Amino acid sequence: MGKLTIGCFASLVGSTNLDFAIKLAGAAMEKGHKVDLWVSGNGTMISIKDQRPFKDYSSLEKPLKELMAKGLNVTACEACAESRGYHHDNTLEGVKRFSMDWYLGSCFDADRVFHIGGE
Amino acid sequence: MKLVAFVSDYKMTVDTLDRLKPEKLGIILVQNGVYHATTKEKGKPSSLLNYSADYYVLQEDLETRGLSGANVIDSKVKVIKFGDIVDLMFNEYDKTAWL
Repeated sequence: MGKLTIGCFASLVGSTNLDFAIKLAGAAMEKGHKVDLWVSGNGTMISIKDQRPFKDYSSLEKPLKELMAKGLNVTACEACAESRGYHHDNTLEGVKRFSMDWYLGSCFDADRVFHIGGE
Repeated sequence: MKLVAFVSDYKMTVDTLDRLKPEKLGIILVQNGVYHATTKEKGKPSSLLNYSADYYVLQEDLETRGLSGANVIDSKVKVIKFGDIVDLMFNEYDKTAWL
């Protein structure tokens, strides 16, 4: 088994890149791989806790928590989060916040790197 | 280099693919990119299907758009799931690109 690093640079509301990243992370973990997930830009919104799930709206807090409980390693870009008003006190428990160095370090010893989004 | 490119949109401006010269190319159609596998314009299939590549389309993204494998217009495009994507990434290719 190997290590997969996923970097998700999600776009605005309606972009399903974050959903894709979470599903791929889950599928990779199911196959026995270790997964690091880095979120940047608007992707940092996934790090906010207590988001209200609406029926026809993408809500990733629950699947994210489930994957983190199984070992998904999630880090949000601190600068991107802070610039959007996402601070420590409203960050989902278990989601770390670091600078981009963390993402580069994760890529360095990954078997596969997958950089999603950026549009 | 063995490259798998994820096409996530249904825009024809994917000239990036013209510039990529890997020894092996895989193209996985995801999100709105699945329309490349199901849609004809003026009677012709998408030009994106003309590369010498292995083609795949994500079943879940077909289904969320009310489509299925039956709507795929070219048999060379294989319908796959997220688990298959992981296997392709780890076993068949070594680099990825998101377009």
